[in-house]
Amino acid sequence: MTNEINESLRSFVEYLVKSLVDEPDTVQINEVTAEHSTTYEVHVSPNDLGKVIGKQGRIANALRTVTKAAAMKHKRKVYVEIVP
Amino acid sequence: MNQSLSPEAEDFASDCTRFITELFSVTDLDVRPGTVNWNSPYLNLELVGEDADAIFGRYGEYLDSLQYLVNQALVNRYGREKRLILDAGGYRERRAQTLRKLALDLAAQVKELGQEAELDPLPPQERRIIHNTLADDPEVTTYSEGVDPNRYVVITPRIE
Repeated sequence: MTNEINESLRSFVEYLVKSLVDEPDTVQINEVTAEHSTTYEVHVSPNDLGKVIGKQGRIANALRTVTKAAAMKHKRKVYVEIVP
Repeated sequence: MNQSLSPEAEDFASDCTRFITELFSVTDLDVRPGTVNWNSPYLNLELVGEDADAIFGRYGEYLDSLQYLVNQALVNRYGREKRLILDAGGYRERRAQTLRKLALDLAAQVKELGQEAELDPLPPQERRIIHNTLADDPEVTTYSEGVDPNRYVVITPRIE
């Protein structure tokens, strides 16, 4: 069950990230599962880093917040990290 | 829906609707696009469903962040003249009531003390509610300071 939730959250993050960037084909989201939390590592083209981080990290923060919202029902702790 | 929508506004509306549908279709959450309402330059879209109310209708931060991301995703195609405003579970109207009351309470304080008051940072649509609430007050004026997302409203005594 947890795997299904993680996978659906991974797809959720992927959809959001792909919608923001110019090169959606290079987007890769890796899921790193710990005991009480899951981290989604976001990989994008170097040209697209600004599009997922934003001024003062505003877009990255919104990604984190919305992912938290999607995980809320399952009381799952989730982190989103932009990996350069 | 408004019948006199321009083709571009129609496209914007259907892109916003599709975005929400596709985004939540990969989850097990019941969040769906409901009615849309065009109030240029804003497209108001209501999120419906059990989880829309329980999650996005209860926590404004979640609603605002989702709204920000959808706008950010569509800005390349439509520019900044068209903006999506999301609502869920009547959140926007409840929030507007809270903000109007806050504006009136603070204005009363400003008049009493003769000193200006600063609000916490608010998004543009919420700052507008504060400005509009006090627009006709002969004793105070309002202006905004700072840069989004830290831009905030200041209420100040009107100088005779």
